[in-house]
Amino acid sequence: MSLVNPRKKLSPSSSHRNAPDKVSARAHAVFRGNGLPWLLLAPSLIILAVFSFFPALQTLRLSLFRANLVVGNEQFVGLANFVDLLSSPKYRQVMVQTLIFVTLVVVLGLFLALGLAFLASKPIAGAKFYRLMLIYPYALSPAIAGTLWLFLFNPEVGAVNSVLGATFGIKPRWLDDPLLAFGLVVAATIWKGLGYNIVFYLAALQNVPAEVTEAAEIDGATPWQNFWRVVFPLISPMTFFLLFTNIVSALFDSFGLVDILTRGGPVYGQTGITTFLLYQLYEDGFRNFKTGAAASQAVAMLLLVGCIVFLQFRYGNRRVHYGA
Amino acid sequence: MKKIIVLSLLAALSGAEAQTTTLEFWHTFGDAKRSTWIQDRADEYNKANSGFKVVPTFKGDSNQTLQSTILAARQGKPAALVQVEGVSSQLALDSGVFQPVSAIKTVDFSDFIGPVVSYYTIEGKVNSIPFNSSSPVLYFNKDLMLKAGLDPKKPPTTFNGILKACAQFEAAKLGMKCVALTPFSWLFEQWMSEQGAQLVNNDNGRAGRATVSNINSAAGRKVLQFYKDLDDRGYLTNTGKLADTVGTNAIFSGQKALMTINSTAGLGNLLDAAKQSGFQLGVGVLPIPDGTKRNGVVIGGASVWVAKGIDKVQAEAALEFALFMTNTANMASWHKLTGYYPVRKSSVTLLRKQGWFSSNPLQIVAFNQLLNTKPNLANAGALSGATIETRNFIEQGIQKVLGGQSVASVAATAQEQANAAIAEYNKNFK
Repeated sequence: MSLVNPRKKLSPSSSHRNAPDKVSARAHAVFRGNGLPWLLLAPSLIILAVFSFFPALQTLRLSLFRANLVVGNEQFVGLANFVDLLSSPKYRQVMVQTLIFVTLVVVLGLFLALGLAFLASKPIAGAKFYRLMLIYPYALSPAIAGTLWLFLFNPEVGAVNSVLGATFGIKPRWLDDPLLAFGLVVAATIWKGLGYNIVFYLAALQNVPAEVTEAAEIDGATPWQNFWRVVFPLISPMTFFLLFTNIVSALFDSFGLVDILTRGGPVYGQTGITTFLLYQLYEDGFRNFKTGAAASQAVAMLLLVGCIVFLQFRYGNRRVHYGA
Repeated sequence: MKKIIVLSLLAALSGAEAQTTTLEFWHTFGDAKRSTWIQDRADEYNKANSGFKVVPTFKGDSNQTLQSTILAARQGKPAALVQVEGVSSQLALDSGVFQPVSAIKTVDFSDFIGPVVSYYTIEGKVNSIPFNSSSPVLYFNKDLMLKAGLDPKKPPTTFNGILKACAQFEAAKLGMKCVALTPFSWLFEQWMSEQGAQLVNNDNGRAGRATVSNINSAAGRKVLQFYKDLDDRGYLTNTGKLADTVGTNAIFSGQKALMTINSTAGLGNLLDAAKQSGFQLGVGVLPIPDGTKRNGVVIGGASVWVAKGIDKVQAEAALEFALFMTNTANMASWHKLTGYYPVRKSSVTLLRKQGWFSSNPLQIVAFNQLLNTKPNLANAGALSGATIETRNFIEQGIQKVLGGQSVASVAATAQEQANAAIAEYNKNFK
């Protein structure tokens, strides 16, 4: 669907720890010569080349043209698409909105997931049931989740406003008040991704050795200190991993929810306040058929993701504690 | 990319059974009711015609269907028949993957309703066979009207009429809003047509490529003002999402609003919903600005286009199926099922003979509205490659007006945005 395929999932394993020379030494011990490794890699490489690299290169080329999907024309315009993009107040607004959206979704989402995972990791009656209930939103397709929220927040006939109207006598305009609509999309996106984050945090919390926390307790640490000074640093590799996957999913996977819940609206300033980078790309590429303009946006997003990856591994690693 | 592979697989599969020629018909109806109706017509046709097999396939919404069509045609595997939405007519024309039906063989269009054929006639050629056509009407809740002391036999027919009825409705204090109306560009276009105003220049894009939009005209501003008046006086409600007629229908059928304006194609569903919530549904003509002589509605909906890249025999067979699907009896049954107009005069006569209008008096309102429309440039509808983008600007504009911005500034901005989009589209042809 998108012009480039940005969903490169990172492995949560901490491969950085292995000294690279050790790995290659071992690899050479198994494979004599270069033929076999390449042969074994070939299926993956071919699939990547056909479905990722080739379309990405095509996108790169297309971003230099004025092209309309339906008309089927290609006129070379050089960097004009990028100039248009960066000089457009509308696109700048979309960039700022996306930045705020991603920050809110990632920060609030991770804190909420961590808190819930911490509670669900306690040995209490019915823990398994709670865990299941916490995880299930992740299993819903974005279309179904979006429709659910749309029904709930219909200002006249939705369940939420029926309750609010009956108890407090208010009926907030969830879908055309810019602030509320933005908040609603943020909340829905966090809710949708909560299950995924909780699963990973649960796994991480269960891997924290009990001896360490017990030792801290004996040393007189309060539960608060115990969590933030002992447990939190121990699960920081997971936070690091989730930080990255959440940024990428807030950038790219929020599309379905936005399309169904708000269609990028309501309008605020230059454009709809929930029109994020990917939604704008979709609008231009697949609703207005401006393939060239959409390709240049795809390239811009590729650069953005590249920057995030670079920053993450350059500076993120310093704060991550991979244990003993 | 995935689509291309699926398409080529489909094409490979269809090539395997070579005895009967397969004619793909790509349409935009995903619901069981309408897609089953289309499949049934194809089955009937296939039974009667041995050499050909029409295979109808739901290809997603109109944009997705158009996109698949273009990609398939570029791969040399075009679908023989494609349903294309009216607003995409200019795009379909510019794509170069279709041929005008009047070039395949001589078709007698005299039986088709005038405004419908005129919508799809460009430069003297009929490009496609009209299929699902509709126009907007006023829906109202008769029970609520009676409660407020309004006469359900005389629903408002003008903007002021609506405002007056709303004032009386509000005075009755029934605790609900008067009008459920979403920011909807299709209605804006209809109101331009009713006022005899063209949406774009160059004879609504029919004498030459449109270059300028007419959103910021007296006619356009009247429509924006209507939204503003309704909102300022607290008569208006909607879900807040643009073009969300599903939402306004839900509000209306949930008895949270007295009236709504929506397509005749929704009549069947609204009748069911009204029965369920236990109220009497009324239908009136589309209310228009005061002091305007009704110039008629623009036909909405879609038509069926024939691909260019198929041989003459196939094209003729495809056209023949399109004509079979829209013949007198079939269009009458299509109308009964969905609320879309039968596009043929003979179907209207047939329905009359069957007593359909006396047992379903609501349907006649929509009919008269269309039959009274004398084809001219304004109600032929606008042709422009940027119609879809323009719709977004109009709807955002209406939302801005509802948010408190002035009609004058909103109209000016929307027109500027639309002009820029049209200019950008036209650059594709330089």
